Amino acid sequence: MALPITYNIRNVLVRWRSTLATILGIALVVAVYMMVQALAVGLQQNSANTGDERNLLIVRKGSTAESSSQVTREQLQLLKFVEGIDKDAKGQPLISADVLVLINLPRKEGRGEANVLVRGVSPAGLELRPQVKLVEGRWLSPGKREVVASKRLAGRFAQLQIGDKFKTAGQELTVVGWLEAGKSAFDSEIWMDADEARSVFDREFYSTVLARVSNAAAAAAITNRLETDKRLPLRGLRETDYYKSQTMTATPIRFLGNFLATAMSVGAIFAAMNTMYASVGARTREVGTLRVLGYRRRTVLLSFLLEGAFLSLLGGILGCLLSLPMNGYSTGTLSFENFSEVVFDFSITPALIMKGLIFSVIVGLIGSLFPALRAARLPVIASLKSL
Amino acid sequence: MSITGFIAKNAFRNRRRAALSVVSVAVSLFLLVTLLVGVRELTVPPEDLGTASRIIARNKISLANLLPARQRATIEKIPGVLAVTPFTWFGGTYKGEQAMTFAQFAVDPATLFQVMEDAKMPADQLAAFQAERTTCIVGKVTAEKYGIKVGDRFQLGGTFWPYDLDMRVAGIYQGTIDDRNIFFHHKYLDELSGGGQVGTWWIRATSTEQVGPVVEAINKAFANTSAEVRAETERAFQLSFVSMMGNIKLLIHSICSVVVFTLVLVSASTMSMAIRERFRELAVLKALGFRRRELFSFILAESFGLAMAGAVLGVGGAYCLFTYLDVSKLTNGIFVVLEVTPKIIGVSCLVAASLGIVSSIAPAISVARMSVVEGLKTLD
Repeated sequence: MALPITYNIRNVLVRWRSTLATILGIALVVAVYMMVQALAVGLQQNSANTGDERNLLIVRKGSTAESSSQVTREQLQLLKFVEGIDKDAKGQPLISADVLVLINLPRKEGRGEANVLVRGVSPAGLELRPQVKLVEGRWLSPGKREVVASKRLAGRFAQLQIGDKFKTAGQELTVVGWLEAGKSAFDSEIWMDADEARSVFDREFYSTVLARVSNAAAAAAITNRLETDKRLPLRGLRETDYYKSQTMTATPIRFLGNFLATAMSVGAIFAAMNTMYASVGARTREVGTLRVLGYRRRTVLLSFLLEGAFLSLLGGILGCLLSLPMNGYSTGTLSFENFSEVVFDFSITPALIMKGLIFSVIVGLIGSLFPALRAARLPVIASLKSL
Repeated sequence: MSITGFIAKNAFRNRRRAALSVVSVAVSLFLLVTLLVGVRELTVPPEDLGTASRIIARNKISLANLLPARQRATIEKIPGVLAVTPFTWFGGTYKGEQAMTFAQFAVDPATLFQVMEDAKMPADQLAAFQAERTTCIVGKVTAEKYGIKVGDRFQLGGTFWPYDLDMRVAGIYQGTIDDRNIFFHHKYLDELSGGGQVGTWWIRATSTEQVGPVVEAINKAFANTSAEVRAETERAFQLSFVSMMGNIKLLIHSICSVVVFTLVLVSASTMSMAIRERFRELAVLKALGFRRRELFSFILAESFGLAMAGAVLGVGGAYCLFTYLDVSKLTNGIFVVLEVTPKIIGVSCLVAASLGIVSSIAPAISVARMSVVEGLKTLD
């Protein structure tokens, strides 16, 4: 077995001129696949990063997004005194009632407009979300028309520099600081005071309630009570679970990635086939020699398959290397959950690299199957005679 | 043998390789056309007859904020306004499906068909729809997809609005650019929610010339009120969605250029392979007195021919597929139509033509450089 392996692998390297184009072709196919999938992975990580295990998010039953949820003030009063919610240093329940509003803001450099999610938070809101950190400027003062914008959003929208004022709903809001949230969904938000948000946007109700319930049994009890209490048409679930389930936006991107991979791999398979047929054709005599030496048909078949797989694995590795510089590159699109801009990174994970490499090997195997069969079936005497 | 015959014979002497090259060019060009058509549909939304005279007014804060119903009277009084209907997105779920393939809107049945002038429905169905508050009308595409008939019960679960709807299908309409939507009485929604709020206003101007002044008048009418309005043409409204999608256009265009580059690589290497194989013959031709120019034209003609054959197959295939098949069914409602425009056909054929020329350059150079003796000595 050793000779056919080294023979075929060395062959790929010796005939580098004819194989280079094929390798590059496969590399580009793999790179495109990786980059599109990196978008889907990045989006998914973005929502999977969000939230704190100890928090319980309470939304209206039936609502599919935080922004379409509703919690009345009476419901909030009831929730505040539910047993099991952690208390802060002053003995107050750690609970934040949020107001979520979509506002339309101009992008940088006049490239149209997009929706941005504004989150009005209660004073406890920041303490409940330890991921969110102030990185520049100062925190907003409750009762004032001030906002703290995500630093990453500020890179994409025109009026979010610290000190900027922007007008919405007839009111002027001042940007006083920038936040960063560890590449989570909060990185796509603008934060302000909840009651200010209710007054500016004329909202009678809150949207969602977030409570710290570190005791798992207590969390289960609250969830259960919300499920059964007819006065509260609400649903409680772990904050992390809620964000993890937000995968709608990634689905069409993943679909695009798979469609591209399929279509482009057909082209790549044909290219690999052409190369391998030429490679087999040029080495007819060598194959005959191998057979005379006693190597069996299936060994020849296997060794040519291996050659194809090796060839395209080189392409796959190159493709991964080509796509790596995109890792961590920040981009944004429309979130189908909230209908607002979501900022996230291209994310190339080891699992994705593995997928890319496997994909390239499969392309190589399919592409070399027929040429390898042809090599294995060559009649020994005739092939020895061939030029 | 004529020159053309000679070139054709050469191109197809290794039938398998010729077929593989043609098909790989065809597949890549098909992909290119699909991407170009897709990105065009995303960035240049389809329009119908009414698009030019329709105006959409939404809350200035953003589309997701509601407007007060009392604004209707003010809008109707504006000169140049022919008809107004509230147009409120319901966002319900049907039969527990996760991904909805149709939208539902609460409208005013009395004026809907004036605003959506392209919609066609039998008069008796329209009368039935207008007469009963808990009825709805269903687009032909959705009706066919779910086998919905007139008289059927139609239930929607609320997500954005916290109410479930239980309605009867009064009619099935067709003729709009997107025959998927469901329309129902805004009064029914008002009854459940207490009323007073609408999503957007859809307005039809008396003529296309009136559109500009009407847009301006609406924006002015509600400036500095508690619910400021952004009125714009239907076109501008659609394009604002494109802007929201972010960098999708850039992404697809970069993918297109990678596809083209891959194409060049693959076909250039195939062409080199084909020429390397018959180096000796080309040397014989040279010895017979054929000039470099003639040899180059042989190679060029062969490579150009193969690339164009791929173009006919790939671009033609894409054209037939998107023109004669039901795109909306094919893409599960993501795209309503995929129009292969002459420009896209032109661009793709141009890519194929330059592909044919570019991939003949490298082999032509090596043939031109080779000396006859050296060429005759070549073994494979």
